[in-house]
Parts: sequence; C-alpha cells; structure tokens
Amino acid sequence: MPISRRSLFKALLQGIGVGLLVDQRLPVALAGGEEAARDDVGPFIARVTRPFDAETPVGEFASFLTPNDRFFVRSHFGPPVPELIAEANWKLRVGGLVDRPQVLTLRELKQVEPVTITAVVQCSGNGRAFHRPKVPGVQWKRGAVGNARWTGLRLRDVLAQAGVKEGAQHVQLQGADRPIVDSVPLFTRSIPLAKALHPDTILAYEMNGRPLPILHGAPLRVITPGWMANSCTKWLTDITVQAEEAKGYYMQTAYRVPVKSAESGGIATGASTPVAAMVVKSLIAAPQEGDIVEPGFSAIQGVAWSGEAKVMKVEVSLDGGKTWEPARLVGDDHPFAWRRWRFLWKATTPGPVSILCRATDARGETQPEVSPWNPSGFLWNGWDRVTVRVTG
Amino acid sequence: MRTPKQTRTTCEARPAKRGQPIHVRIVCLCLALGLVGPAVITAAQEGDPASISAALALRAEALIMARCAVCHSEDLIIQQRLPRNRWEKTVEKMAHWGAEILPGEADLLVRYLSARYHPAAPDHLPLMDSELRQAETLKQEPALTGMLVGDAGRGAGIFEHNCQACHGIHGSGGMGPKLAKNPILKHEDRFWETVLRGRGPMPAWGSFLNQQDVADIYAWLMSR
Repeated sequence: MPISRRSLFKALLQGIGVGLLVDQRLPVALAGGEEAARDDVGPFIARVTRPFDAETPVGEFASFLTPNDRFFVRSHFGPPVPELIAEANWKLRVGGLVDRPQVLTLRELKQVEPVTITAVVQCSGNGRAFHRPKVPGVQWKRGAVGNARWTGLRLRDVLAQAGVKEGAQHVQLQGADRPIVDSVPLFTRSIPLAKALHPDTILAYEMNGRPLPILHGAPLRVITPGWMANSCTKWLTDITVQAEEAKGYYMQTAYRVPVKSAESGGIATGASTPVAAMVVKSLIAAPQEGDIVEPGFSAIQGVAWSGEAKVMKVEVSLDGGKTWEPARLVGDDHPFAWRRWRFLWKATTPGPVSILCRATDARGETQPEVSPWNPSGFLWNGWDRVTVRVTG
Repeated sequence: MRTPKQTRTTCEARPAKRGQPIHVRIVCLCLALGLVGPAVITAAQEGDPASISAALALRAEALIMARCAVCHSEDLIIQQRLPRNRWEKTVEKMAHWGAEILPGEADLLVRYLSARYHPAAPDHLPLMDSELRQAETLKQEPALTGMLVGDAGRGAGIFEHNCQACHGIHGSGGMGPKLAKNPILKHEDRFWETVLRGRGPMPAWGSFLNQQDVADIYAWLMSR
C-alpha cells in the first residue's frame, strides 16, 4: 500500500515523531543512565529488564524472611507463556528410569503430605560484579539472594510413587520456560539422585504462605536447600530419572567452576564441576552504604548462611580486617535458613568508617577477603563491606 | 519535510550537554545543516584512537537493537566490562545460538563493544550523544518523492531476517504476536509507530530499518 510522503511524515511528527525526533534515546543509552550511582535504594535493583533479572536491596535483609515481592528474580528466558502454566493445562511428568511413569496435576500433588522448609535461595552469580578481573554475566552485587518459607511436597515422595529403577544416578529437571529462538539451548538441569532423595528437597507451590508467584516459578519449582538456585528449577514440568547428568549447555558448560583454581583472567579450560552447594557467606543489612551514623552506640546487623553446614560465628571488623570481634547470632535457627546477627558498635571517631563482616561455618570454612576467581564469576563470598560516615 | 530548518529545530530543542566534546557538536551541526557525509564524522573522531568512529558506533548500536535485543534487553550488554577476546567469544556464542549476525556485523559489534565496554571503562558511561542519533535517523531516510511504495517481495526477506524470530514463519506468531491479519495492519500509523519505536518487549527498529524497509514489511504482511 502506498503512503504519501505527507501522511508518512504526519505520522512521524505527530504520533511517532514527538518521541522519535525529540525524545529518541536508544535503550542502550537509557539503561546506562537510569542506574543511580547508589543502587541500594528502591524496592528492586533491576539488572536486566528483559528477561527480568533483579536483586533485592540488602536493607531488606534486616528481616528474617524476604517478602515475595522483594525476592530476587532470575531466569534465562523469563516466565513461560501463561497458557503453559495455567492450572488447567499444567502437568508434571515423571519419566526416565522409573517403573511407573507419572503424569500429575497440581491438585494431585497437593494431596501428598506437605512440608515447609525455610531456606536461602541464592543465584550462583550473586556477587559476580566483585570479581577481578571482571567476568561476563549479569553483574549481580549483593542482593541476588533471599530467605523464604517454601511449602510443597518432597521430591522423594514423587520419585517413590514412580519407582526409581536400578542404575539411576541423576534427576533431570526441566521447566516450561522457552528461549525466544529455538536455537538457544533449553535451561535443562539435573541434580544427583542423593540430593533429589534428601528429605528437605521439595517441589514448592507456596512461598511464605502464599501461592508461588509466577516470577518465582508457579505453579511448581524445585527447592534444593543449601544448594545454589541453578538447581531450583522454576515452572517445573518434567522430571527425568537417568544414569547421567543432564546434557546440554546449562549443565555441561554453564554453572560450572574449575576443579583446580583458575588462572586469573583466563577462560574455562580443564576439568570443572557443577556449582552445587552454597559457600559460607554473610551480609550487612544495616547500616547501609553511605549512611550517616551518630557517635555513640548503634547496632550493626545482618544475615549469614552456609550451604550444608550451620553458621557458627559471625565477626565484624572496623579496622579493615586487622582485628575481628564476634557478633551475636540471634533469632530463628533453621538448618537451611540464614541466621540473623547483631553487633553493638560504639562509634567514636568522626569520618568515614568501613564495616566488614565475615562468617564461619561448622566445617570451619571462613569467608575469605576475596573469593577465588573463576571464569564465570560464581560463588562470590568475600567479606561484606559497608562504609558509613560518623558525624562530628 | 527534511528541510535543514526542521532538522535544526530538532537539534536546538535539546540543550547541549555540558562537557559535550566540541567535535560532537560540530558533527551534529553539520548533520543538521545537511552537510552529511561519513568523512566528516570520521575526521572528527580521528584524534581519539581509543574510540570507534561515531558513524560506526551508530551502526553498531543499531545492530545491537536488531540482533541482540530480540532476546534480551541492552542493559545486559552495557553492564559488561570485558576485554576484546571475551567480547569475541560472547558474540561468537550468540551467533552460534541463533543471533542473525553476519560476519561483517560480528566484527563491527566486537570493535564497538570492546572500545566502549572494556575493563577500564567507568561503571557509569555517559550517554551516547542523542542529537547524533537523531541526525543519523534522519540521514537514513531515503530520498522520498511523494509516494513510498512497499515491495512485498523485498518485505518477505526483511521480515525473515529481522522479525521472524519472534513473530513466527509467515508472521504466524511465536514469542511475539501473530502479525498476519493482525488488526494493527488496518491502522498503518500504529504499525509504523510500533516498528519504529517498539512496544513492550519489542525493541525499537527505527535506527535499523529504513522507511523503505518498513513499507516493504508492511506490504508483505498485508499480502498474507
């Protein structure tokens, strides 16, 4: 259909043109300018707008449970199209090395004995932005982690119903999310059978007592307490019991760390192992970066957690890590949740003060000043640091 | 409509940014006055060997919109600070995964990305100069002579290369809506607006597709 030059430019200048000519800035530029210099304020810190990846401002971690609408969001392709996960259409298929393949509705799954686990879920790349040399990937800082109460059924109950056959070693997990173009590999993951059979590994349909939100994997997601979130498949549709680890990019190439420490700045070569358990880590939730502190006593507080061991100790340093003083562990104490801690600090000297914290777990693992560098920037657990200013 | 007067008005409508390099302003002015030519831009950038020429930067940014933003927003790219070899690997990986990057385009992308988003670049890079973009958008317009006639045959090819990933084969829908017989086709102005400016998750194509391209895509979609 021909358009006259007049009508085209009328459209450009009126409907489109106002935006196109006067306010046109490519999102390339927009996004760079939008990020505030201080990004720990506001309800969410969006790292990627599409697919939506966002972290929680650490001030939120002053509370034991992270609210659903503040909990960090991460996926490779964004939520599936709504029809795929609508309760009427959605089914969980269980197959592979099983005696009785299953096709289960959400209603059937909710009839299985429910369990509630309080557990930390953390992105493997949380803290990636602190690795030097810098590494590619979403530049998460401190908030790609949260602690929530997850309610669902034990994965082992589903597996028992299906009957795991001899030779099974791994359980493959597939969600309903799909890449925009078919040539991008699916986010297919697997966990070892032993982890799948752990009584605290669950398929969750509730988060903090509410139906699981779509951004967090509704109607069903895997929760592998103590392990990084790359095992916590969202929008779960297919469980396949098999002899081998899942094939494909997201199991065999991505989410792996070198077995031997990597040469700094190098690329991934040599033997590697999947990222699994979390490492011991702590964060300062209050005060926050840049806060003004009055002289006298004030509380420093935060959270600490470790993968499969109990947090035994959190320490605070106010002299750059030369000396450390113990903080007090407070509040709820659950195996896979984080532990809150408090430290009473008497601020005296006016000026900037850096507060550092580090945790130690029951295996004796202590947070290092700087985590081992690896090509994908996983498992950052260096000392946490917040700088405040004490008034005169 | 592409008179120097109109274009100049557009430029003047925006206050010049403080600290904007004088050569950028000169380029902007040259473009605004219709003194358009790649030689002008290249010459203006010669004194800055670390940067890529403005003309190439604009082409690279348009490519990012067209080739990368189909699957993920640009903020994922601009937060990276990587050496050239890692940019090469990344672009290679994306091409392998189906990004429609031609070999020449890959080179340009790597040059641009490693010039702008290198490890020593500051966390918060200043915006690219927006006046320059506007001028570039205008520069892309074909010399119009009254009527813009869409070529459905050509549109089929442009659609396949740029739109099909989201809107499906023959515009039958996919991650993006079905376009064949889509009601938006009855409102040509809305169609143009959506293509040029984007909508929701769809990136803006105004800096990549020229008006003839859009007219051709429209003609092809109307024939579906």
